[in-house]
Amino acid sequence: MPLLEVKDLRKSFGETEVLKGVSFTLEGGEVLSIIGASGGGKTTLLRCLNFLETPDSGEILVNGERVFYIDEQTGKPVTVPGVQNIMGLVFQQFNLFPQYSVKENLTLAPILHAKSDKAKYRQNKKEIHDEIEQQADEMLEMVGLSEKADKYPCFLSGGQQQRVAIARALMLSPEVLCFDEPTSSLDPELTGEVLKVIKDLKSPERAMVVVTHELEFARAVSDKVIFMADGVIDEMGTPDEVLVNPKSEKTIAFLNVPKGY
Amino acid sequence: MGFWEVTQSLIAGLGNTCLLFALTLVLALPLGLVISFGSMSKFKPLAYLVKVFVWIIRGVPLMLQVIIIYYVPGMMFGTPILSRFSAVVVAFVINYACYFSEIYRGGIESIPKGQYEAGKVLGLTRTQVFFKIVLMQVVKRIMAPMSNEVITLVKDTALARVIMIVEIIQAAQNFAAYGLMWPLFYTAVFYLAFVGILTLLFGYLEKKLDYYKA
Ligand SMILES: Nc1ncnc2c1ncn2[C@@H]1O[C@H](COP(=O)(O)OP(=O)(O)OP(=O)(O)O)[C@@H](O)[C@H]1O
Ligand SMILES: [Mg+2]
Repeated sequence: MPLLEVKDLRKSFGETEVLKGVSFTLEGGEVLSIIGASGGGKTTLLRCLNFLETPDSGEILVNGERVFYIDEQTGKPVTVPGVQNIMGLVFQQFNLFPQYSVKENLTLAPILHAKSDKAKYRQNKKEIHDEIEQQADEMLEMVGLSEKADKYPCFLSGGQQQRVAIARALMLSPEVLCFDEPTSSLDPELTGEVLKVIKDLKSPERAMVVVTHELEFARAVSDKVIFMADGVIDEMGTPDEVLVNPKSEKTIAFLNVPKGY
Repeated sequence: MGFWEVTQSLIAGLGNTCLLFALTLVLALPLGLVISFGSMSKFKPLAYLVKVFVWIIRGVPLMLQVIIIYYVPGMMFGTPILSRFSAVVVAFVINYACYFSEIYRGGIESIPKGQYEAGKVLGLTRTQVFFKIVLMQVVKRIMAPMSNEVITLVKDTALARVIMIVEIIQAAQNFAAYGLMWPLFYTAVFYLAFVGILTLLFGYLEKKLDYYKA
């Protein structure tokens, strides 16, 4: 059974249909890269997967269980409560919380989640905090930013901020971690450090969906590549199939686009 | 009538000035937040209603509002509902809450959407996102306009005279009956000291919030 199954997802903004029936599956531990020209619906797809947008129709299943679907009787979209925790999202613009230190950015959500179980939290307050902080230290080490724990995001470089954002997402141990062009707002010399972190995250513990324009990177880390154009999956397959020997004319055109200079 | 006697009367009047100032702040700061939520409501009829209300309150002179709130219930029910001082407090709280609400709204709307989305993706509720992520950033952003409003409030308290509350200006003016004008000018010293302290306080707060840039 696939970890994630997306069935015929559709989404319109007003008159414009942005997703026109997107379906794919993702196995645990797999890395899926999504490439495609601007406006093809890649961001919208990730936002739907993370429940920042509500699809108009279609289904999302996690481990065979429907977490999003359209109720047959009412015709209304249903999002199963608590499914946010299954997914994680790293934004192109990092979206760190500026008033919190790097470490506080990591611990904020886990602490608030722990507090929601009031009785348990009151009893084990110290252990809970220790555990969360220790986990934060581990995550920061993983992204190579241990020495920045007490700094504020505004004092970090873009690449460092994005690594913090990745560590923050990892704190909740998402089963599917999504990245929306994680290096697109970075200077070229900072791209490498972020891509390396993402590459090192590949593990049986989590699947990853990466929207990226870094084709070499996609080829190196992905198990599967999707080429999206105009709201549909135009081509899907192994990195070699899609990136080296593409069959679809749109994919071929996209890969052969002369750089605009 | 000597300097010391005048000073004592003015300090007595200053008591009312300070009380009105403090009560208005304590009540109008949270009420303004509620009003700003109303004006940003996705339920459009409520948002329009609140906007019309804010327009009226900001459009009518505060002095007139004080008079209306004190006298109109009396005219309608035959007897005053509110004491003079309560009437002034009510008028001031409503008026300042409306001004604050607009400052809050500007601040809240200036927070990037990504902050809300990052919070949501981390599984936080809307309330958690607002109070743990957004609010503090709003506070930092609205410090300057807020300090303006608060300083204006200090001087607006003088409007309470219109329904015969003896605040500091009225206390000074009572001496005019004895032909003394200088107590009135003397009140400026008190206002300047009051505003000076507030300016230092806001400077301190702004500095405290300066540990990060956004
Ligand atoms: N909230 C919205 N309201 C209206 N239209 C939207 C909205 N979000 C996206 N769109 C439109 O949907 C289309 C797809 O946008 P999307 O951001 O998903 O594309 P993308 O593949 O991520 O592009 P890019 O490579 O530029 O990031 C675009 O035409 C965009 O203008
Ligand atoms: Mg995009």
